[in-house]
Amino acid sequence: MVERKIKTVYDVVCPFCGTLCDDLEVDIDIKEDSVIEVRNGCQIGTKKFFSSNPSGHRYLKPRIKANGEHKEVSWDEALDAAADILVKAKRPLLYGFSSTECEAQSKGVELAEILGAILDNTASVCHGPSLLAIQDVGAPLSTLGEYKNRADLVIFWGSNPVHAHPRHLGRYSEFVRGYFRKDGRNDRFIIVVDPRNTHTAQIADLYIQVKPNEDYELINAIRATLRGVELDAKEVSGVSIEKIRELVDMLKLCNFGVIFFGMGLTQTLAHHRNIDAAICLTRELNDHTKFLLEPMRGHYNVTGANQVFTWNTGYAYSIDFSRGYPRYNPGEFSSVDLLIKDEVDSSLIVASDPASNFPAAAVKNLFKHPLISIEPHETPTSAFADVVLPAAFAGIECEGTAYRMDKVPLRLRKVKDAPGECLSDKEILEKLIYKVKEKLGE
Amino acid sequence: MSLNNLILLTGRTINQGVALEGGKTTKENVRAAAICAFDKDDFKKLDCLVGTPVKVITDHGEVVVYSTISEEGPHPGIIFIPMGPWANQLVNPDSQACGTPTYKGMKAKVEVMRSGRVLDALELMKQLRVA
Amino acid sequence: MVEIKLKLKKKPELPLEADIITPDNFVGKNVADIKKLELYYGKEVVKLGNFFDISGKSTDINDTKIIIDGDLSNVKRIGENMSGGEIIINGNVGMHVGSQMKGGKITVNGNADDWAGAMLQGGELEINGDAGHYVGAAYRGFWQGMKNGTIKVKGKVGNETLAWVNGSKPGKRFPKLICGSAGAFLGIHSHGGIIIVEGDCDRCAGADQVRGAIVVKGKVTKILPSYKKIGEVGEIELPNGEKLTGKFIEYSGDHSVDKNHSKIDKKTGEISKSSNGRLYIAA
Repeated sequence: MVERKIKTVYDVVCPFCGTLCDDLEVDIDIKEDSVIEVRNGCQIGTKKFFSSNPSGHRYLKPRIKANGEHKEVSWDEALDAAADILVKAKRPLLYGFSSTECEAQSKGVELAEILGAILDNTASVCHGPSLLAIQDVGAPLSTLGEYKNRADLVIFWGSNPVHAHPRHLGRYSEFVRGYFRKDGRNDRFIIVVDPRNTHTAQIADLYIQVKPNEDYELINAIRATLRGVELDAKEVSGVSIEKIRELVDMLKLCNFGVIFFGMGLTQTLAHHRNIDAAICLTRELNDHTKFLLEPMRGHYNVTGANQVFTWNTGYAYSIDFSRGYPRYNPGEFSSVDLLIKDEVDSSLIVASDPASNFPAAAVKNLFKHPLISIEPHETPTSAFADVVLPAAFAGIECEGTAYRMDKVPLRLRKVKDAPGECLSDKEILEKLIYKVKEKLGE
Repeated sequence: MSLNNLILLTGRTINQGVALEGGKTTKENVRAAAICAFDKDDFKKLDCLVGTPVKVITDHGEVVVYSTISEEGPHPGIIFIPMGPWANQLVNPDSQACGTPTYKGMKAKVEVMRSGRVLDALELMKQLRVA
Repeated sequence: MVEIKLKLKKKPELPLEADIITPDNFVGKNVADIKKLELYYGKEVVKLGNFFDISGKSTDINDTKIIIDGDLSNVKRIGENMSGGEIIINGNVGMHVGSQMKGGKITVNGNADDWAGAMLQGGELEINGDAGHYVGAAYRGFWQGMKNGTIKVKGKVGNETLAWVNGSKPGKRFPKLICGSAGAFLGIHSHGGIIIVEGDCDRCAGADQVRGAIVVKGKVTKILPSYKKIGEVGEIELPNGEKLTGKFIEYSGDHSVDKNHSKIDKKTGEISKSSNGRLYIAA
């Protein structure tokens, strides 16, 4: 019988979603240096660990496109070609950064500044509106631990954690026992507001079906009712006035409420004004009881990207360095808007897949110009890139810091080595910065 | 058969999440993300089998995906396509100057396809490059 | 008025950041000096003469009239921070036209892009076509935006027009907008703005309005639930004293905001006629 030597790594932080679970256990086959088993992770996190094993999709060497095909080249050649593209560009875009660790993100800022480029991360298409609203009206936030221990009323608004943050309900918001919620699920009242009767809604205590794109009016009606105003309307956004009054009573009578919100508010019409209203509602509820809210961040380190960009530039995303100092204006300097106008003439995509996630009109223009992709495995973006720089998976093959959705920083672990000639995102960006500086004559 | 006056929503599903981690250019991803989920009663009006390719059309584009019945209904008048390159052929790229496109809430209509193929992710991308 | 003429040689492929084009920057300079003025084209520093044919000079800012011809839809920040004089743009113009303007007048004979007249402090901005989003709005993170001045848009304005506008009766500041039709969230977070829409208006007009007046002479897609109908009026008195006649339904709002709700008498439920916000919709 062949004996398999296995090492188990404990307390591994999962590099998939903003819940950033920190209790995974990963078994590694020592000889093959591959993942054999993952315990405690959700389906998606587990799959991510397994996808780091060598496969047809994993890039092992840098690639350059020649005659419409990718051919493998040396790091020197690939870095040279990439630096060339960036230096010659008049309006380069550096985008992504949400699925890598903080030190790499910091290098991204450095590179953007040297190039006078646009610097953006995935918040631009995701929770950017939440940040815009927070910049306008502030936000009463806390940490997931506090919600787990105290919240007896939990609202998911435009968020479907069963599908997007699978272990959130079990670790922080619904099924877990908390210090003041010793009876777990039975100590909590869960409300879901969504146009569809999602799987999260199906296991909630109250489901409120709201008409798509009409969340603002509903929040507005709740705020007015909370103030004691008699509304003139009989029904708002598909919800009857009686139901709104019942809901307001529930909100006032709880001990500690929390609203978790997601793309249902940020990606529908009104975008950041939906969040603006939700924040004002939450703040106004504190006249009656304790109420807070939390954006359900999608990527495991998009919060980190916002943090790192903000320390360095003062702004969290959609930053323009073209005039020699950082300027911020989503709508003017955000990636999708720039691409739609065909204003970008080359791009460096780090730890992200805009070809899959941007609207088709933006992807069309993305592909019109030189594209460099720093990516561990084949994606629709990297498959058509002019230069592919193979990266190690941060959080699996290299260490680093990541920020959870509630801005708590956690240290990512390295459980195995990167295969082939892969380097960490941070190393790749460092080398690019060196090459770019060389070409600029600095 | 066709259905008009629908509203298209897009978003995450756990299958789409698993598939994308497994490789965004795989068949698994097509099965997870190139689908359109209908409300049970709306689907009856289409008069076709589950899995029949349907063309979904919005003001911003059109795409052929596999049809299925939603497990997250009832939601009459609403169709759901998981986030990904198929959904992104249809979403509204206009962010109303806030930076984030309007991925949810587009007006849509659906036609059942007599013939027509669901493209995989790379084929979809190639179409965008040629255009 | 002395005219300084600029003619765009070729439509720029990348945005041209032309905040250098103001009467303040041109006054007292001869043509050669104006041509040497520097501005940003992408990340490159270029000279105004590279992009424009220029003629004329002036010595007094209030006598200065800059006339610009061409398709300027990719030229941003024209008239930014200007304090006097006039600019006439014969064509479409890019983002931020007249932003933070303190005085003088800008006329756009075409359409304007987003952020036209953002953070306006005074003066007049007239757009004879449509305008984009965030007309007369506050920049990100500012909770006081347009403070004074008048914006006139013949056509349609986009969303979030006059966001965080800040007028003041005691301070005699009456920031005003007149437009043909409006998008969503007109006058959001308004503190004393005066808005007149000659035509129709989209949803959520007057969201979070604390005080000010919004008059819609056409139809509104949907009125916010937090607005309370007061009654019908035949004449409106705007905060700046101006009077409008016509049959309107008067609404008080936005009552989801504390400052407005405190104006409802707790005992009688009557809405105070004093300083809270108003929405008037043609009957």
